[in-house]
Amino acid sequence: MVRYRYLFSQLARRELRKKYKGSAFGVLWYLVNPIVLMGAYWFMFGVIYQKQEVHDYPIFLMVGIVVWTFFQQSLLSAAPSLLDQSGLVRKARFPREAIPAATVTVQLVIFSAVLLLFLPVAVAIRGTLTPALLLLPVLIALLYGFVLGCSMIAAILHAYFRDVEPILTAALLPWFFLSPIFFQLDTLGEVKNHPWLGTVLNWVNPIAPFINAFRSVMYGGVAPELGQLLYALAAAAVALLLGSSIFRRMQGELAVVL
Amino acid sequence: MRRRTQASQLAVAPGEIVLRDATRSFSIRADQARTLKEVLLNRRTTGPPPVPALRGVTLRIAPGETVGMVGRNGAGKTSTLRVLAGIIPLQSGQVACGGRTVALLELGAGFSRDFSGRENIYLGGALYGLSKAELEQRVDRIIAFSELGEFIDVPVRTYSAGMYVRLGFSIAAHLDADTLLIDEVLAVGDEAFQRKCLRRISEQIAAGRTLVLVSHDAGSIERVCERVVVMDAGQVAFDGPTAEGLLFYHRLMGTEHGSGESVRPPPDRSVEVSEVELRDGAGRASRVFRCGDPVRIVVSLRALRAVTAPRLALEVRSQDGSRVFRTGTPVELQPDGTAQLAFDIGRLGLLGGDYDLALAGHDGEEGSAFDRTVRFAVAQEHDAEGIADLRGTWEALSPVPEAGR
Repeated sequence: MVRYRYLFSQLARRELRKKYKGSAFGVLWYLVNPIVLMGAYWFMFGVIYQKQEVHDYPIFLMVGIVVWTFFQQSLLSAAPSLLDQSGLVRKARFPREAIPAATVTVQLVIFSAVLLLFLPVAVAIRGTLTPALLLLPVLIALLYGFVLGCSMIAAILHAYFRDVEPILTAALLPWFFLSPIFFQLDTLGEVKNHPWLGTVLNWVNPIAPFINAFRSVMYGGVAPELGQLLYALAAAAVALLLGSSIFRRMQGELAVVL
Repeated sequence: MRRRTQASQLAVAPGEIVLRDATRSFSIRADQARTLKEVLLNRRTTGPPPVPALRGVTLRIAPGETVGMVGRNGAGKTSTLRVLAGIIPLQSGQVACGGRTVALLELGAGFSRDFSGRENIYLGGALYGLSKAELEQRVDRIIAFSELGEFIDVPVRTYSAGMYVRLGFSIAAHLDADTLLIDEVLAVGDEAFQRKCLRRISEQIAAGRTLVLVSHDAGSIERVCERVVVMDAGQVAFDGPTAEGLLFYHRLMGTEHGSGESVRPPPDRSVEVSEVELRDGAGRASRVFRCGDPVRIVVSLRALRAVTAPRLALEVRSQDGSRVFRTGTPVELQPDGTAQLAFDIGRLGLLGGDYDLALAGHDGEEGSAFDRTVRFAVAQEHDAEGIADLRGTWEALSPVPEAGR
C-alpha cells in the first residue's frame, strides 16, 4: 500500500479536477452550500418556529451542517467511484481501496478547508478559545476513519449492486432530520420527558456523537463527554474494520462486474 | 466471498510465470444486476449457467522467455492474460507472476480523458506502483518514444485510436517490467510504429524480460517469440517451439496462411490430408501462377483408422466463397495407410485474383467439410474480368452488304 502512495495522490488529483471542471466558483460552492442551508434552518427554526432557546443558533447549526455535509458527500461520491474508475480497475492490479479512499480524502480536504474558514468565526462569536480546541484534530481523525469505513462499504456494494446509490440518497434525508443538527436533544421537552427516545436518538445514530463532540468543542468550548468520545472511537474502529474486511472479500471480481 | 483456492502462494522468481490447473468461468447474463440478497450470499439464483473461459490451464514460463499466444476468438487468450496480470481471480488452480507485471490489454483503458498525455503517463505509471521520482526519470523517454510531440500536452479525449496505442505502449514499454503482457492492441498502430514496438520489445527481450504476446498476426509472433501456446476452448492445445506451434495453429484454423475459412476437423476423421503442395510447370513449389500456366497439385493422404472406400475431394473457391470447381476421386491407399496423388491442370483457366484450394479426405460418402485450405494467387496479363478464363478472341467482321442494292 505504501508503494502506491503516488497513485493515491494521482487519484485524488483526478477527483479534484473532475469536481472543478467547468465550474466558475470551484471550491467556493463547498462554503456556499452549508451557509445557505444554515440560513434556511436558522430562519425556519430560529426565527419563525422557535421551538427551543439556543444562543448563537447560526453557529450551533453550522457545526452540525458542516460535519453532516462531509459525511453525506463522502458517501454519495464514494458509492459510484469504482464504477467511474472502471478503466483503471480493468487495466492493472493495484489496491482497489485507493479509489474510494482518494474520493473520501478529497472530501476531507474540502471539509478541513471549510472548517478552517468557519472556526475563527465560531471562536470569536462564542468565545471558545479554550484548550478543548486541541481535541479538534483528534475528532477530525476519528470522523475521517468512520466516514472512510462507511464509504468503502458503499463503494464496493454499489459496484455489485447498482441500487446502493439511490438507496443511500433515500436514506440520507430522513437520517439528516433524525441527527442532532438543528436541535439539541436534551433541551427538547418531548425528548427529555420521554423514557427512552433521547437515548435512542443519541446512541443508535452513529453520526450523532461526532456532531455532538464537534459542537462541544467549537460551540461550547468544552471537551466532549468521555462516553461520546469513546463511542466515536468505537464507531470509527468498527466502520474501518468492517469496511476493509467487506471490501477485501468482495474486491476480487471487480474487474468482471464493472 | 468467491470460492478461491489461491491461498497457498507459489514462490516464483521475478519474470517467472506459473499457472496451475487454472479455471475460470464468466456469467453471461446480459443484465449484470443482482439483487442485494444474491450479492450478500454471493450466488445467483436465476439465469444461464456461467460459461467457462479457462478449463484447467497449466503453463510454466521461465524468466526471459518469449511466448506467443494464439487461438481463435474466445479460446481464452485474453482471459489468461487478465489472470496473469492479477486483474481477474481464478475460481480454482493457482497463478503466480514474479516481479513487476505490466499489461497492455485494452486500448486506452485507464486513461483519464480530461487529462493530458503527460499527466496520463504519471497516472499510468502510478498504477504499477512507481513513484513520482521514478516516473520523472522516464517521462522524457516515454514522450520521445510515443512521437506524440506537442499532442502530449493535449487532453487524451482528442486522441485517435492510433495515438492511444502509441501512448499506451510507450508507457508500458518503459516501466521496467519483469513481465510484459501484450494483447492484440498493437495492431491498431501504423506499420512504422508497429515495427518500432517490435524493436523495443526485442530490446526488452535482450534485457532478459519475459514476454507474453497475444496476436493473430503470425508474422509478429514468428519474429518475436521462441515459443507458442495455442489455446483452444479454454485449454492449452499446443505448447512448444514457434514454427511447430504456428503450423499447429494454422492446421487448427484450417488454413495455411492465417486467412480463409476456419474449418473444424470433420466429425468423421477417417482420412487426413497431411500435405499439400502446388507446383508450377517446372515442378517448383509455388503459390503464385499466371493465368494459363500449368499447375500440379500434389496431395499426401493418411488414413487415421481402417477405411473401406477412401476418397479425396478437391475444391477451388473464389474470395467471395463461391465454388469455382469441385471434383473428387477414389484413393488407393498403400499398405501403411498413406497415399500420394497429383492433380494436373494443363492450363489454369482462372482470371487474376486470390483463390482457396480446399481439400478433404473421406471414407465413402463425401461430406461438405474440408480440413485443409491453401490459398494461391493468379496473376493475369490480358484484359478480362471475372473468374473463368474462357480464352475467347475478338474479331472484326466486314460489314454485311445490304439486301436489294
